[in-house]
Amino acid sequence: MAIPRRYFFRLVVLAILLVFTAFFFVPIVWLFLAPTKTDGQLLTHSPFAFGSFGTVAHTFHKIVTYNGHSLLIWLKNSAIYSFGGTALAILAAIPAGYGLALTQFIGRRALLAITLVVMIMPATALVLPLFLEMDKIGLYGTIWALILPFGFFPFGVYLAYIYFSSTIPKDLLAAARIDGAGEWRVFRYIALPLARPIVALVGFFALVASWNNFFLPFVMTYDNSKYPLQIGLQQLIGSTASFNPANYSAGSSVVVLHRPDLAMAVIIAIAPVLIVFLFAQRALVSGMLAGATKE
Amino acid sequence: MATVTFKGATRIYPKSDRPAVDRLDLEVRDGELLVLVGPSGCGKTTTLRMLAGLEHVDEGAILIDGKDIVNLPPRDRDIAMVFQNYALYPHMNVAENMGFALRMAGVPKSEIAERVRAAAKILDIVDFLERKPRQLSGGQRQRVAMGRAIVREPRVFLMDEPLSNLDAKLRVATRAEIAGLQRELGVTTLYVTHDQVEAMTMGDRVAVMKDGLLQQCHTPRALYADPVNAFVAGFIGSPAMNLLQGTVEAGGVRFASTVIPVAGGVPKAVGEAVTVGLRPESLSLAPAGDGIPVIVTIVEELGAEAFVHAQLANETADAVKANIIARVEPLAAPDKGDLIHLHVKEGSMLFFDAQSGDRIASRS
Repeated sequence: MAIPRRYFFRLVVLAILLVFTAFFFVPIVWLFLAPTKTDGQLLTHSPFAFGSFGTVAHTFHKIVTYNGHSLLIWLKNSAIYSFGGTALAILAAIPAGYGLALTQFIGRRALLAITLVVMIMPATALVLPLFLEMDKIGLYGTIWALILPFGFFPFGVYLAYIYFSSTIPKDLLAAARIDGAGEWRVFRYIALPLARPIVALVGFFALVASWNNFFLPFVMTYDNSKYPLQIGLQQLIGSTASFNPANYSAGSSVVVLHRPDLAMAVIIAIAPVLIVFLFAQRALVSGMLAGATKE
Repeated sequence: MATVTFKGATRIYPKSDRPAVDRLDLEVRDGELLVLVGPSGCGKTTTLRMLAGLEHVDEGAILIDGKDIVNLPPRDRDIAMVFQNYALYPHMNVAENMGFALRMAGVPKSEIAERVRAAAKILDIVDFLERKPRQLSGGQRQRVAMGRAIVREPRVFLMDEPLSNLDAKLRVATRAEIAGLQRELGVTTLYVTHDQVEAMTMGDRVAVMKDGLLQQCHTPRALYADPVNAFVAGFIGSPAMNLLQGTVEAGGVRFASTVIPVAGGVPKAVGEAVTVGLRPESLSLAPAGDGIPVIVTIVEELGAEAFVHAQLANETADAVKANIIARVEPLAAPDKGDLIHLHVKEGSMLFFDAQSGDRIASRS
């Protein structure tokens, strides 16, 4: 019996979607299943097989204690650099976006254009000049060599600009000015409380950008105790037997890392961002402005 | 208590060659409710925003109690404004909205609470003090916006079409309420609207604007009876005054083949063009052969009165097909298509220059 034409078309579309879904999900599923297995099981078992919780605990303990709790040190460093940079990015981007969107000053358009240009520039392009600058002012090797550049976040300025210019009615600010508020208090008491969703959004993007940044910390840090997670993960790859067999001959006293350990390290590295995302998402979805003005 | 004086106040928007407000001279007297009225784009809202300090004044001065305030920021002008869209702070509850100005002024918390409560009582919104603006109906939000203005006891109230977002019935009720409240508080008020009925019913005086220029400022009755030009004559009154283009003849005005006799004579030379203004209530039904023959096109029956829309009979030229509206007794209302005769009440005709629209001499 022939399949009717319209069903046939739907089935084709469904099949294509399923293939793509599988294509993108398989690596993620594999990653989360990898620490449940031993290195040998990883090769012999099905990619989607679940090993055991005992292996998970073992892998977790091994990777966390590896090389004098290096992973925890990197995690702490990442947190300092990223949250410091994110705080700075929010402090700068939110007022900047507000100023660009809702106030008038000479050079406003030029500043907006510059913001856009800098936004589309690859961050890597600035790493070398930043390195020279940090070295000159004596900040190289300190946390500020990462926090200060992470705080420079033109994309956040642009997001805040879009938000303020599209969602805050100008009459609301006018009302506050007439009510006796000066420019700072208009921002502090009216614009800022209404900007919670954009503070969350800018904060989240700034956090992800600095948390995942590899090249800047690669240049700015030189010591295991200063590394953030992204640099640390690269070190771990170098210490993994299957990727670097020459260094790890059998019988060596050094703790040998295997692929499941590495997968566990990666999961630990992305967990904080995932957790922050869950909180930020709640803040993003809020109908703060309903009822401000009658449409 | 305060007086507000505009002295040649001008606002020219960037990239515009025509001023939005052109050398405005206007005085709002102490305790008065002055209504600014005009079609959209006439500059009335710009005028209000100039007084509020939200709009730059390019030329001239604006004085409150004789002191030029043009260079003062809005917060130092001691004025309160009710916005068309209310502009309530969405993240604050009603009490916080109303008390915001007092909080900015550093008034102690207990006094803020007391004054907010007193204002809320006047406006009958005590039950909503803890609610957020989004939990209120349009009418309630409007009251909160009013409350936010009165709680401050400012020198001047500014109102920018505060009723335009309400439905028709609520608008009429609130109109009277605002006018009553203003008189009770005695605060000098500048009120902007595009609705001439609102202007006439609420204003102690009404200022009519058009294209950035003040046309006339007077009491509602004087504006209605003695408009200075054809624009004011046509804008004030509902239905609008009939404005007919004609030519002066000896003893009357000719509209194509119809001649309307003018008892007192026309203040223009014979043969000159003139615009004749006639209020609908100045026209009445006359016996056949006496008065102007017209053909009825529409009859609007409103119960207490009826309005007859008609065109001059025997006239086909476009120039004289102008619609004439007459108010008649509902029981005597003719039917559509009837030939009727309209009598012009003596002394009720107004004459305007056909080109400039300016009023010519007195009525006849």
